[in-house]
Amino acid sequence: MRNAASFREGWLAAGIGLLLLFPLSSPDAFFLDVFTTGFLLAAFAASWDVVGGVSGQITLGHALPFGAAAYACALLTTFAGWPLPLAVAAGVLLAAAVGAGIGTLSAPLAGPFVALLTLALGEIAHEAAVGHTFFSGPGGYAWGGEGGIPVALPWRDASPFSSYYAALAFLCLASFGMLRFSRSGAGLILRAVAGSPITAQASGVPIARFKRLAFTVGSAFAGAAGAGFVLHVGRATATDLSLELSFQAATFAAVGGRGTIVGPVVAALVLHVLFQGLSLPPSARVLLYALTLLVTLRFFPGGVVGTARDLASRLGGKEAARPPRRRGRNNPGEGTP
Amino acid sequence: MASPLPQVLLDGLFAGGTYALMAAGMALILGVVKVINLSHGAFFTLGAYVAYALAERGVGTPIAAAPLAAVIAFAFGVFLGKSFVNPARSHPFALPVGTLACALLFEQAAQMVWGPHPLSIEAGAPWIGPGGLVIRRWGVIAFLSSAALLGGLKWVLSARPGLPLRLIAEDEEIAGSLGMDVEAIRYLTFGGACAMAAAAGALLSPSGAVTPTMGRAPLLLSLVVVIVAGMDSVAAIFLLSIGLGIFGNACAWLLSPQWSYVALLAAVCLLLSARPAGIVVTAGRRD
Amino acid sequence: MTVRTGTFLRLALLLRGPAALFLYLFSSVFPAAPCVAAAHPDTLKIGVLAPLSGPYAAGGTSFVQAATLAVEQANAEGGVFGQRVTIVVGDTQGRVDVAKAEALRLVSREKVSALVGAYLSEETVGVMEIAAAQRTVLLVPVAATAEITDLVRREYARYRYVFRVGYSLPQWAEMIAAFLSDRKVRRYAFVGAGIRWNRELGETLERIVAPLGIAPVYTAYYSPGNPTFDTVAVAAAAASPDIVILADPGRNSVSFLKRLRESAPALPALSIGGALGDARLAASVPLSAPVYVQAAAWRGVSPAATAYVERYEHRFGAPPVGYSDTLPYDAVTVLVAAWRKAGSTATEAVVPVLERGTFAGTAGDYRFDAAHQAVWGTGPGALRGTFVRWERDGARIVFPPR
Repeated sequence: MRNAASFREGWLAAGIGLLLLFPLSSPDAFFLDVFTTGFLLAAFAASWDVVGGVSGQITLGHALPFGAAAYACALLTTFAGWPLPLAVAAGVLLAAAVGAGIGTLSAPLAGPFVALLTLALGEIAHEAAVGHTFFSGPGGYAWGGEGGIPVALPWRDASPFSSYYAALAFLCLASFGMLRFSRSGAGLILRAVAGSPITAQASGVPIARFKRLAFTVGSAFAGAAGAGFVLHVGRATATDLSLELSFQAATFAAVGGRGTIVGPVVAALVLHVLFQGLSLPPSARVLLYALTLLVTLRFFPGGVVGTARDLASRLGGKEAARPPRRRGRNNPGEGTP
Repeated sequence: MASPLPQVLLDGLFAGGTYALMAAGMALILGVVKVINLSHGAFFTLGAYVAYALAERGVGTPIAAAPLAAVIAFAFGVFLGKSFVNPARSHPFALPVGTLACALLFEQAAQMVWGPHPLSIEAGAPWIGPGGLVIRRWGVIAFLSSAALLGGLKWVLSARPGLPLRLIAEDEEIAGSLGMDVEAIRYLTFGGACAMAAAAGALLSPSGAVTPTMGRAPLLLSLVVVIVAGMDSVAAIFLLSIGLGIFGNACAWLLSPQWSYVALLAAVCLLLSARPAGIVVTAGRRD
Repeated sequence: MTVRTGTFLRLALLLRGPAALFLYLFSSVFPAAPCVAAAHPDTLKIGVLAPLSGPYAAGGTSFVQAATLAVEQANAEGGVFGQRVTIVVGDTQGRVDVAKAEALRLVSREKVSALVGAYLSEETVGVMEIAAAQRTVLLVPVAATAEITDLVRREYARYRYVFRVGYSLPQWAEMIAAFLSDRKVRRYAFVGAGIRWNRELGETLERIVAPLGIAPVYTAYYSPGNPTFDTVAVAAAAASPDIVILADPGRNSVSFLKRLRESAPALPALSIGGALGDARLAASVPLSAPVYVQAAAWRGVSPAATAYVERYEHRFGAPPVGYSDTLPYDAVTVLVAAWRKAGSTATEAVVPVLERGTFAGTAGDYRFDAAHQAVWGTGPGALRGTFVRWERDGARIVFPPR
C-alpha cells in the first residue's frame, strides 16, 4: 500500500512540476489562456466529484453554485460597488448556501431523483438569469439577460502569466482541500453512505446531514471555481448556469474516474487543453471530442485514473499480501492473479 | 375567434402528447436496459431530418416518413447498444455520459450534412372545431400516436412477448440463468426505443423548424416525465405528460409566457419533494 | 531472476522523474508546432470571430461565408497594396471565454491585422477587451447592445479601435417605426423571446412610435428554453392588432409564425430579420397574409447589393438572409476600403480614416458617428435598411420606396 501511495504522489508531483515549468518554454498568450481556463474547469470538475463521486449523489445541476458565485461577484462589484475580495468571499458563501439548500431538498431523494431535482434547479436558475433584465443599469441601457453582467475588476488587462499561476495555485489548493476532505472522517462516512445507504443508516449515521454536508462542501468549491472563472473572463453570463456546463463536469468525472478527485482534474485539463488549444476546425473538433469520449468510456468505463488506480492497487495489493520470498527462487503460483 | 381557455387546454393536451411520445421510448430504455439515454433527443432529431429529406424529394407527409425513420434509428440504436451500451454496463455512470457524447456526435454530423440553418416542412391547414377552436393537425397526430404507442407498450409488456423484458427489468441474473439472451434483448430494446424516438421526431417535424439541436428540449422533458412517473405504470407516464403539457400552457396563459418553463420545473421540484420515490407508489421491491 | 510485478512498480517510480523532464522538454517544442498558418509573407489577414458550433452555428456560418465572399471580392479587385487578403476564422462557440481566447489566438499567434466579430453581445464585449489591449481594429457587424458604443464613448482612449457596422437597437426601432408609419399601422403586437435585447427592442420601439400615434396592443415574451408558442399566438391574434412583430430572429420565428397562421390566417407579420429571410423557410409558411422581413440590404436595392446577392447565391447555393451575412460582408468591405484609403493596415493610420471617411457597402454608404456607430435610421445620409414582402415567386421590396 505504501508503494502505491508514493507511486501516486510521485506522479502528482511530476505533473505539478510540469505545469509550473511550462510557461518558461514561452508559449504564446493564447496557450496560457487556454491552460488558465482549463485549471478553473478542472477545479470545477473536482468539486463535482466531491458530490457525485465521493458522496455518490449524482448532480446534474452543479453549474448552479458555480454560476451563483459568478453572478454574485459581478452584481456586487458592478451594481453595489463592493471591493473585489469581499465580493468573491460573498460569492463563495452564497455558493455554499445554495449547496446547503440543494442538499436539504435532495436529502430525502435517491438516485435518479437527485439527478432530476438538481437538473431542474439548475435550469430554473438558468432561465431566471437569461430572462431577467435590469432595465436601469449604469449607463442608462439594459443589463443582464443573455448578455450577462460585467465584473468591475481592479486590473485592466491581466498578464497571462499571472493569470496562469494564480489559476494553477488555486487548482492545487482546492484539489488539496478536496482530497483532504475526501480522506477525512466525514469523507469516509460519505463514501460509506454512497456505497450502501441502508447499512449506513442502520449504523446510526444521520444520512440527511451528511448529504447536505457533501453538497455544501462541493458547492463551496464550485463557487470558488466560478468566482475564479468570472475574474478571468471579466463577465458573468448565463452560460455559467447552463446545463451544458453541468454536463461537462459530470463528463470529466466519468472520463477521469468518479470518486478519485484527481481523475476529473486530469481529464478536465487534458480534454480542455487538447480540444481548445489545438485550434482544430470546428466540426472536426466536436467530432473528435465526442469520439474521444465514446472510445475512452468504452474501454475505461470506470474512468482513466479510476481504472489505473484499480490496476495499481491490485498489483500493489498482491505485492503486499504475498509473503516475502528469497530472490531467485521460482515460485509456481507467481503469475496467477 | 374561440374563447381562449378551451383553446389553451387543447393546445396543452397536444403538447402533453408530444412529451408522452418521447417519454415512451425513454421509459423502455430506463426500465429494461437501465440506462438514462441522453441520446434520445438525437434520435428524435434524426427522425425529423429523415422527414425533411423525404419532403424535399416530394414525399410530403411525415406519416410516411415515420416508419423509414424508425428503421434507420433502429439500426443505429442496435449498433450503439452493441458497441457501447452493453460493454460499458460495468460502470453505470459511464452510460449516460457516453450516450451524451453520441448525441453530440450526431448533432455535429447533422450539421455537417444538412447545415446548421433551420429547415422547415409545411404543416398543413388545421381543422376548425366547434366555436372556432383551432385543432392542429400535428397536435392530433402526436396525441393519438402517443396513446397508441403507450397502449401498445402496455399490452406488449403485460402479454407473453413482453415477459423477457419484464424479467430483465426485474433481475438480469435470473433472466440470464433461464437461458435468455440478455445481451441481445438489451440492444434490441435499445434499438426499439430509439426507433420510437425517431418516429416521434418524424411525426412532429412539421410543427416547427428542424435544426441539429432541436432534440435537446424534448429530451429534458421526457427525462422529467419518466423519472417522476416511474417506469412501472404506463398510465402514469401518459397522465403526467398530459398534465405537464396542460400545466405549462395554463401557466403561460394565466401568469406569463416568459416564466412558464420555470413554473413547470418548479412544479416538478415540488412533486419530487412531496413524493420522494416518484408519484407512483410501488409495492415493496427487493433490494 | 524472474521479473516480478514489484520490479515494475519500482521502475515506474524511478522513471517518473526522467519522464517528467522529457515531457517538459517536449512541451517546450509543442506550442511552436501548431503554428500551422503557413505564414505567407505577402498576405494580409483579417481575423473573423463567429460561433461555428453550438446553438448559434447558423448565424456564425453565414457570417463566415459572407466574410469569405468579401475577401474574394477584394482580391478580385487586385488585393490591397498588391497583397492577397485572407480570413482566419476563430470559432467562439457562443461563449465569452472561448471568444476571448480565440481573439487572443488570432492576434498574438496568427498576427491578423484587424478583427471582425463577434456575433453575440457578450462575446463581442469580451473581444473588445482583447482588441483594446492589443490595439487592434475591431469591426462589429451584428451585436446590437448599447454597451459597445457606450464603452467607446466613455473610455475613448482605450476602446477607440472598435467600430460598429451594424445597427444599434434605437436605430433598429427607428427603421421599424418608419415602416409601420408607412403601412398606416395604428395597433401592433410585439412578440419576442424573453431575452434582454428582444425586451429592450420592444421598449425602445414603444417609446419611438408613441409620437406617431402608434401603440402596442399586445406584448409578450416567451421562455427561451421551452417556448409556449400556442398561448402567445392565440393571445396575439385575440388582441386584433394590425400587424404582429416577431423579434426573435432564429428558428423560433418560423415555429411561431406557423402557429400564428393557424390561429389568424389573415394577420400580417413582420420579422425583424434572420431565419425568415430564407426563401425556403418562408415558403413553408402559408402566405394567406403578408409576411414582411427587415434586412440590411436586399437584391435590387442597389447594383452592389444585387451583385453581392447573386455572387452569394452562386457560391453557397442560397441567397443571403440579409442580416447575419450582409452585415459581415459590409464590415469586411469597409475595412478593406479603409486600408486602401489609409495606405496601410497599421491601426494608428486606419482609425482616423474610419472616423472621418465614407465607405461604400451593399447597404449604402457607411459613415461612423462620434461613438463609432454606423449611421442607420431615417435621417439624411443614413443607411435605411430594407423591408421586403414574401410572395409566391420571391420577395418584393416594399420600403423604403425606390
